[in-house]
Amino acid sequence: MKNAKMIAGRLLSTIIVLLGVTLIAFLLVRLGGGDPARMIAGDMATPEEVELLRERMGLDQPYILQYFTYVKGLLQGDLGYSWNYQMPVTTIIANRLPQTAVLAVFALLIAVVIAIPLGMISGIKKGSAVDAFSMFFAIIGQSMSPVWMGLLAIMIFSVQLQWLPSQGMDGFKTWILPGICLAFQFSAMMTRLMRSGMIDVLQEDYITATRARGIGKGKVYLKYAFKNALLPIITILGTSFGTMMAGSMVIENIFGWPGLGQLLVQAINVRDYALVQSILLISALIFVVCNLVADVVYTFVDPRISFN
Amino acid sequence: MKLDAILRRMKKSKLFLIGLIGLILIVGVCLLSPLFMPHDPNQATLAKRLSEPDWFSGGGLGGNPFGTDPLGRDVLSRLLEGGRVSLLISVSVVVISSLIGTLVGLFAGYFGGVVDRLLMRICDMLMAIPALILAICVVAVLGTNLFNLIATLCIASWVTSARLVRATVLSIRGKEYVLAARVMGMKNGTIIMKEVLPNTLTPILISCTQRFGSTILVEASMSYLGMGVPVPTPSWGNMISDGREYLATAPWVVIIPGVALMLTVLCFNFLGDGLRDIFDPKNTD
Repeated sequence: MKNAKMIAGRLLSTIIVLLGVTLIAFLLVRLGGGDPARMIAGDMATPEEVELLRERMGLDQPYILQYFTYVKGLLQGDLGYSWNYQMPVTTIIANRLPQTAVLAVFALLIAVVIAIPLGMISGIKKGSAVDAFSMFFAIIGQSMSPVWMGLLAIMIFSVQLQWLPSQGMDGFKTWILPGICLAFQFSAMMTRLMRSGMIDVLQEDYITATRARGIGKGKVYLKYAFKNALLPIITILGTSFGTMMAGSMVIENIFGWPGLGQLLVQAINVRDYALVQSILLISALIFVVCNLVADVVYTFVDPRISFN
Repeated sequence: MKLDAILRRMKKSKLFLIGLIGLILIVGVCLLSPLFMPHDPNQATLAKRLSEPDWFSGGGLGGNPFGTDPLGRDVLSRLLEGGRVSLLISVSVVVISSLIGTLVGLFAGYFGGVVDRLLMRICDMLMAIPALILAICVVAVLGTNLFNLIATLCIASWVTSARLVRATVLSIRGKEYVLAARVMGMKNGTIIMKEVLPNTLTPILISCTQRFGSTILVEASMSYLGMGVPVPTPSWGNMISDGREYLATAPWVVIIPGVALMLTVLCFNFLGDGLRDIFDPKNTD
């Protein structure tokens, strides 16, 4: 009951945030110049035709009315009209979003599979060779430009060794390079988090007590310490999906991956603002929803936590 | 913490020292580079395009120690000039956004109430949009130039420091010494400047150091996507993207600026981690 009330409050503030984001997206495009009617009409249109289109699109209305029309459209799932593709933005995004999402999920899986065991072992064996290696891995991962890493990976694995294709989305082989590059920076951060979580948990009294009762090291680590060290990872997983989406802007453009990131850059290059605006909105939506889910999950996993 | 205790810990922290020495070298060489710049970084000599590095064997600095790029420009000269641009961007963004963030955070945290809630809602909204996406959308609308790039990155990053400062202020607002100052009749402005601000400086300092590196990385990503420093001005980011078509034939065009970028970010990260350990209250030397 208490949880339900808190979740409702959290939901409300999420909706306010999203409304704010729609305002940012709206203002960004309206104030940034660029006449949507002019662009949809094309170069051949006469001024009268453009004027007619402007009226039909409601662009002659005051900004505040335009904004309400925009939000009303959004609520009905109408993200606007792309002049470049000559089709509704909703359709275009629906075609591209799944590719970005699968890449992000794939990268997240790679990151988790690397980071959790690595972070755990280096937390248990603090100061060992494994620990030194994983800390080196973590700090390199956070210091490398994703662009550079992507290009290096292509240089080594596609150009020199010719093991993996560098472009496109066609079969599992094309997934490996973009997946690993997207995961790298993230798994570095996660390894650090898991390691420090493990170190903190192992200093707790209940761990000493469990050990004193004669329960074996392996069982203590896996059953008692692991679960608690995993808690901060849940929060990070929530924010990570948004970070992954942003990261895939770069990775998709390096590896020719047909997702939202590639779409965004194309849209910017041809000044297709309706599309730019919507991609901004969609990434914020995904980010906010993932955070919300992580917060809710967290309250159930860790009863000490409550929203405020 | 006393100054001599800080200095003692600094001398003991390997991370901090490596980061500091590395950065002094990198920043020093980049800043002083006009004194020994071997070639004009923007001078294209098409006859020499994509020449291989001679690694200082072809007449030291006078040759092309790191080779030339697809337009025949000297990579070493561009690396030095690009370093100045990348560092300039990252320092301006971190300093400006930290100043804005500190002001907002102090104000929101100290006074609380409606203002606080309003400011924090704005922060939530900006935080909801991934920084890189926000930055490229804003630049796309404003147009690409150095000023817009810095302004945009500030818009996307002041929120982090605002939240940090606000959280710190909230944790000290109720402390006895702040209450005492209030009882003694100090004005709010004086309390903020004398009692609250000094206590927020350490977290700000640590977060700034950690953000220098990530800002350089974001600049590189934006340059690759065509939303960064406009050509022909070199930055490490757009030097990396200059080489993207020549990965097979001229790998040095990509590798060299990438190494410079990585070493610099690495030093900033070392410095940041070192500072965090030094000021960690749990740290007992």
